[in-house]
Amino acid sequence: MNVVNHIREIRLKNGITQVKMAQDLKITRQTVNAIEKNKYNPSLELALKLIRYFNVPIEELFHLEGDDE
Amino acid sequence: MKKKRLEQLTMGVLLLGMIIGGFIGMHIAGVTVDFGIAAAIVGTPLLVFLVIFLLNAWRRNRLGTIPEADERTALILKRYFLGVLYFVLFGSGAALLVLYAMGIQAIETGMLLVFMMILYLVIGIGTLIAAKL
Repeated sequence: MNVVNHIREIRLKNGITQVKMAQDLKITRQTVNAIEKNKYNPSLELALKLIRYFNVPIEELFHLEGDDE
Repeated sequence: MKKKRLEQLTMGVLLLGMIIGGFIGMHIAGVTVDFGIAAAIVGTPLLVFLVIFLLNAWRRNRLGTIPEADERTALILKRYFLGVLYFVLFGSGAALLVLYAMGIQAIETGMLLVFMMILYLVIGIGTLIAAKL
């Protein structure tokens, strides 16, 4: 089962750019892009950092493909 | 700060090693070192390090504090080197079999040096590309 995320929507809602997010989370801009396009699943450490960064519950950020939202 | 100091020390040791290595290489090759050659041996590594330093400074200005590598880069490089391992292992084996089938009985060490040099170059360029993906 694939993991789907809503990082792009939440980032845009908060008015944050990919570059700013990359700087704040100490990751590359390519990684931000890959995560947003669901091409790369972040490690648990980075996932927890993302949750803290956007201050949202985990289920709002990530869910399994096919699961009811 | 300690990391920065260690980086500077590593760069210094590398630079010194390259210059000393250059002179030792010339001595082994039996080349008489005149001013021009000495300047080239000392100047080339200095120039390379200067270019690297300037590129890094330009990158810092352009991208701010975005790191060059992260967990995804490490994962990509791990996969890349795994591929390289099999490519070199089986590729070299296959090349040897082909050469033997062609009737070549011996390989000059000079040819092996050239082969290894090309291999390192290709792997190095591939690493740079993989790290930027």
